[in-house]
Amino acid sequence: MKYVELHSSSAFSFLEGASLPEELAETAAKVGMPAMALLDRDGVYGCPRFHTAAKSCKVRALIGAEISVADLGHQARPPAWMPHKAPLRPVRLALLAKDRTGYQNLCRLITRYKLRETEKGTGTATLQEVAEFSKGLVCLSGGEEGVLASALIHGGIEKARGRLEQLITLFGKRNVYVEVQRHFDPLEEQRNQAAVQLAKGLGLPLLATNGVRYAQAKDREILDVFTCIRNHCQLATAGRLLQKNDERHLRSPEEMAEIFCDLPEAVANTELLDSRLKYTLADLGYQFPLYPIPAGETMDSFLRKRTLEGVQNRYGSKNDEQLFAKATKQVEKELQLIGKLKLAGYFLIVWDMVRFCREQSILVQGRGSAANSAVCYSLGITAVDPVGMELLFERFLSEERDDWPDIDLDLPSGDQREKVIQHVYEHYGELGAAMTANVITYRGRSASREVGKVLGFDADNLDRLSSLVGQFEWRGPDDTWQTYFEHAGFDTNHGLIRKYLHLCDRIQDLPRHLGQHSGGMVICQGQLDSVVPLEPATMPGRVVVQWDKDDCANLGIVKVDLLGLGMMAVLEECLELVPKHYHVPIDLAQLPPDDRTVYETLRRADTVGMFQVESRAQMASLPRNAPDKFYDLVVQVAIIRPGPIVGNMMNPYMRRRQGKEPVQYAHPSLEPILKRTLGVPLFQEQLLRMAMVAASFSGGEAEDLRRAMGFKRSESRMKQIEIKLREGMARNGIDARTQEEIIVQITSFARYGFPESHAASFALIAYASAYLKCHYLAAFTAALLNNQPMGFYSPATLVKDAQRHGLRVKPIDILHSDWLCTLENARGKDGEELRHLRMGFRYVRGLHEKAAEAIVLARAQQPFSSVSELVLRVPELQKSELVTLSEIGALNSLGKGVHRRSALWQVERAARPAGPLLDTLGEEEADISPLLRMSNEERLVADFHGSGMTTGPHPMLYCRAALAAMNIQRACDLAKVADGEYTRVAGCVIARQRPGTAKGFVFLSLEDETGIANIIVNPDLYQRYRLLINREKFLRVEGILQNQDHVLSIKATRVLTVRISAAETESHDYH
Amino acid sequence: MPFACLFIPDFPVQAVVRQEPELRGKPVAILEGAAPLTRVSAANGAARVLGIEVGMTKLQAEACAGVERRWRSLSQEATAQAALLDCAWAISPRIEEAGVGGDGCTPGTVLLDITGCEKLFGSEEKIADDLRRITAEIGLDANVGIAANPEAAVCAARGFAGITLIPPGEEVNILGRLPLLSLGVPVEILETLHRWGIHTCGEFAALPEIAVIERLGQAGQHWERLSRGSDPRPMLAKDFPTHFEECMELEFAVDLLEQLLFVLNRLLDQLCLRLRMHILATTEIKVTLTLQAEDSRRKEPVLHIRTLRLPMPVAQSKMLLKLLQLDLQARPPNAPVTAVHVLAIPTRSRTRQLGLFLPLSPEPEALEVTLARLQGTVGEDRVGAPELLDSHRPDAFRQRRFVLPEATLRISFGERPSRTALRIYRPPMAADVQLQDKCPVIVSCGGGRKPVLAFAGPTRTNGDWWSETPWAREEWDVLLPALRPKFQAENAGSEQAEKALYRIYRDLHSKRWFVEGVYD
Repeated sequence: MKYVELHSSSAFSFLEGASLPEELAETAAKVGMPAMALLDRDGVYGCPRFHTAAKSCKVRALIGAEISVADLGHQARPPAWMPHKAPLRPVRLALLAKDRTGYQNLCRLITRYKLRETEKGTGTATLQEVAEFSKGLVCLSGGEEGVLASALIHGGIEKARGRLEQLITLFGKRNVYVEVQRHFDPLEEQRNQAAVQLAKGLGLPLLATNGVRYAQAKDREILDVFTCIRNHCQLATAGRLLQKNDERHLRSPEEMAEIFCDLPEAVANTELLDSRLKYTLADLGYQFPLYPIPAGETMDSFLRKRTLEGVQNRYGSKNDEQLFAKATKQVEKELQLIGKLKLAGYFLIVWDMVRFCREQSILVQGRGSAANSAVCYSLGITAVDPVGMELLFERFLSEERDDWPDIDLDLPSGDQREKVIQHVYEHYGELGAAMTANVITYRGRSASREVGKVLGFDADNLDRLSSLVGQFEWRGPDDTWQTYFEHAGFDTNHGLIRKYLHLCDRIQDLPRHLGQHSGGMVICQGQLDSVVPLEPATMPGRVVVQWDKDDCANLGIVKVDLLGLGMMAVLEECLELVPKHYHVPIDLAQLPPDDRTVYETLRRADTVGMFQVESRAQMASLPRNAPDKFYDLVVQVAIIRPGPIVGNMMNPYMRRRQGKEPVQYAHPSLEPILKRTLGVPLFQEQLLRMAMVAASFSGGEAEDLRRAMGFKRSESRMKQIEIKLREGMARNGIDARTQEEIIVQITSFARYGFPESHAASFALIAYASAYLKCHYLAAFTAALLNNQPMGFYSPATLVKDAQRHGLRVKPIDILHSDWLCTLENARGKDGEELRHLRMGFRYVRGLHEKAAEAIVLARAQQPFSSVSELVLRVPELQKSELVTLSEIGALNSLGKGVHRRSALWQVERAARPAGPLLDTLGEEEADISPLLRMSNEERLVADFHGSGMTTGPHPMLYCRAALAAMNIQRACDLAKVADGEYTRVAGCVIARQRPGTAKGFVFLSLEDETGIANIIVNPDLYQRYRLLINREKFLRVEGILQNQDHVLSIKATRVLTVRISAAETESHDYH
Repeated sequence: MPFACLFIPDFPVQAVVRQEPELRGKPVAILEGAAPLTRVSAANGAARVLGIEVGMTKLQAEACAGVERRWRSLSQEATAQAALLDCAWAISPRIEEAGVGGDGCTPGTVLLDITGCEKLFGSEEKIADDLRRITAEIGLDANVGIAANPEAAVCAARGFAGITLIPPGEEVNILGRLPLLSLGVPVEILETLHRWGIHTCGEFAALPEIAVIERLGQAGQHWERLSRGSDPRPMLAKDFPTHFEECMELEFAVDLLEQLLFVLNRLLDQLCLRLRMHILATTEIKVTLTLQAEDSRRKEPVLHIRTLRLPMPVAQSKMLLKLLQLDLQARPPNAPVTAVHVLAIPTRSRTRQLGLFLPLSPEPEALEVTLARLQGTVGEDRVGAPELLDSHRPDAFRQRRFVLPEATLRISFGERPSRTALRIYRPPMAADVQLQDKCPVIVSCGGGRKPVLAFAGPTRTNGDWWSETPWAREEWDVLLPALRPKFQAENAGSEQAEKALYRIYRDLHSKRWFVEGVYD
């Protein structure tokens, strides 16, 4: 006998299912089910993953959902005489899609009520809406959550009959099935008996299901944990909310036949119904929108015109005939392929978005593989010339590929990007475009916290534990749950703790809720809501689809990534600040390409704040790479990546770059491909070309190879391609040893490789940021500070770095600061024009933007002369804000001799109305402060507490004399220490890193008043000083100085605490 | 008007050490909380020196070698507090269980109004010495502060070790050295003061009063005055007595219950007389029997304490005596008794009007005696009214103390549908069950082997998988020839009496079968 499970939910029912769709599909295949339906709560969240997994398991994935309906009463609950905590929840209708119409109706129905939701997960459909969208759908009477159970408990058999008749009216008699489930529960059996009786009476077919909530019986524990999380209770007190037993798992046809031996037709009907359910996600019916074109044009002709105009503009201006001819040829080739693949609409839509940005003066740049396309370059979508840089078009688009090309647009983060997103919404309608989702899953900390709560751990213990759970990339043998618990002082031999460990591990990667992807947008011809349900995002004005970007890509839905890039916002702000304060025009497209200062600075690794080249690892490799032209920067951006590091490409490249090793090629035919990177493959395009040249792969085949070896690699597919690769190379006369070498190069690198086009796009931004920092430090720093958080360093470090480069940074001042950081022009001693940076109110912790705006507005009318006047004229300012402003010294300019404490003294009085009796006291008398000025240490603590930084001296400076007496070197003096010499440094920890590629080594950056010292801590030492290294804000480190190719670092042998300041300095840790 | 304050530092530790004098002078940490969430809740100075911190887990505390660890005992603390009050009452009739900044009361802190006491006990120094001596006798090391106003005395005792006498007018100088924390200033004011750079009472006291009121309001003025030791608040004297006590030191140790009852009878008579004079009764009687210590070197008394909590107010000594007799029969002291202490918590007497048409219920007093008798026979936790628990675990209930319901008319039977009742065998009867096609066919129990005539099932339940006591079982309802015909004989016809419907189940952990009960 065959059996098809037609009512199951996955973990995408968010806390009401315990297994991933993949596990369900695999288990269904294992127990011999030819098909299976997934019906998650109020959505089709898990369907794409279920569809893909089921396809590979050769199980037909049927699609449906459980729909909450308001007009059908509440779900059955335990009787009133029984103690329970079951909340009132609306009945859910189990619906299955028969055909595409059914699926589209299901999506529209869900979208309709989801978009009405004011609180996540509370939306319900009305019966009228169900009637409107009932075509093509099959309705099941449901299990305990369903309409039959509810009617039976609330009104008996007559009410149940009435409900079924209602369903018949809604869906038609052929499309209503009376569901029977058996979980060995007598109450459920009573329902089943009633259901059999009703089905017989109404002539409806019976349908056996198991109401599956998890793949295997053991997963019931996870469902119980989820139930507690959902109901905010603990396992010990959840009572009847928990599962009664563990029977809601996938059962084999034989088991179901045995359980329903008295109702064989109920099992047989599953097969019959399956044969009626023709719909799977393979038939999604998605269409990318058409671009509106003028009469007499086709989209292809319109695209051709726009592209050729672009070729003229972009290549014509370069006065290089050869390049122009080459570009025209390439564009022609690309246009032909685009026409063949019917992608003209897609290019035009992206072109339209870019055009909108230009019109609105929003900086935009395409990145990713789109930069390989001359059409994209000509249309102004990308800024890298793929013809000039000889980039490989096939990496972007090829005939063999069955997916859509990927165009990502970088936009300034913040309001500008939002403007573009809203433009797309407006353009394609509320139901025509939406953001892709981001599934938030349980990770280390969230898992430990939630499971701990459920098991009854108190808040204190949970805090202690979650602070110890590692967040870094690299996980050593000690980075286990067991170790975390032991460090938190728990006895891991205790039964409850063992259970805790086990559960934390098991709920990893299970979905928790749906978030919004940072930039992926999907657009659809006509109605997107008929392709996938839409729901409101937490952010007002945003709509998200129920699938994440991978799901969309797998189902062939075109996505345009509108990514917010902090550095783009910085560049955009610089475009405004530089002409205003430096009185020189600036055009990012026209920056001098080979600026000496920029390359010297890069070679010195003096790159704090610069895009992509500021990290610790980048700094450590810059002096070795010693870039002196743009392509070196492209390599630099790409080389500090897991791919080249894991593939052991970085060191050979650096040695060859420094002339320490000859440039060699695995095969002479590879020389033209690898020449630019000194014989070392660094980019994905090179890998593709290697396959094309060495094994005569076509462009599409080569791209296939890259994807097969990519992130989600499949062993069997890799083997097939490897055989093909070897065959191709053998045909080309490449010997076995060389073949092996080439294969090793390709396989070790393919996984993490970086496209050259992408590196080039990033390198352009990196160069622009370096240029601006070198030549317009004040403007660049102000823009950088105004667009935090971004980059690698905290604002405090950025300020100190700018100060070390000679910029005067002025503190926040009530009479001079704006919300953002600003530039103040001044004259130097010799009359030269200087620019000072004035910190903005956005750095005052807890100060609302509205209050800051009110200050600026009131100040513009007339400056404030006293604290009481400030309080009087800016009523928006709350007392806590005034206190913080006083503490950080922002009110010191309000009168002579005012210091932070005296301002505090005045604020306390001004913010509290004194009443008529004390009002008569003279202002002066009352305002004489008896408080002492803050000490240096108190000022530091107040600065960091109130603004996260100090514009005054670095905390280390105050202790320098004492530190010098202890023989502790300054960071700037390390260059004078000989390689291999034992030395000591101390500083404020500004970064802790444990990269995945560094085998457990930890890298610390210690900042003092002169610069940053780099510390390397080996894994053993880290284990010994783990608490100290992770918790202390200031450290003293002793060890051997390494000076390799002017890269300075200290290999720590001892780590100690050092008492410098209690200031709350920040560190950028384990990112 | 001088005031004295007795303050016991690390009170939870001292309360324990008081019962275990061998711990005196040793580092001690007090643990609290159920495993595995046990934490250090208090520690003495010696333990802190060895690295113990409040909030550490048990495992971390165990890592500090040489520290004695004990569990927190609220009863020991309560006893210590009561003893501390007694010490205070030994000097002054006006005492207050004081707290930090006069806000609530903190165990281990007692304030005494010692006005006029010098005539009885001598100078203030002498009184302070006496207080320390008396508290030392009950096993507590106290700080004593004496000052002209209550808060100054409390601050002095909490802030300084040993005896601190603050002469009138010297409050600012002496208390000025204390950190503000010892005043117990509310967090929001404390934060403001810290922002101002004010950390000690002296610095606070130096601020101009009106300026402080302008900025911190009346609360600020209150705390500033406290920091000067000049806030004369009225003392909230502890009512005396709040409970009724009687005690008797016995000349000879008593080891027979009859002799003890004789003593108790006299004490209860006196107690009930006093209660009745106040038109009061009691709902709680606490009998503390001081037992003869086996170890004569042991200074601490060994007590046998029995508390009777009654569901209704009682003022009849005979009934109380009967209940105590039943209680002591069930839990006799394990050594001869040398002293008896009886404490009664007073309450208003019971007044009750019986309804004319209500069925008569048993006299509450008589019912209580019956329940006590039953408890004495079957065990305390086996008598009461069952209450269903929110759990899928079969037969999950707890026993609540049986209390006569308020007299109301019963709900008519028509409102609730009749249900089949299952009489549960406690404990269930072990059985052997023979299966065919996974269904029961023969049940063997108590020597009988019965064929299954009909069955329904199975029902499967399992749960508490996270705990030490998970359960999993499979139940069947089976129709069998009666296993125990006598249950059926009374109300069933002769034909039906031969068969009965049973619930059998298999414990899936032990794989054993049981007959759980029979349906009516």
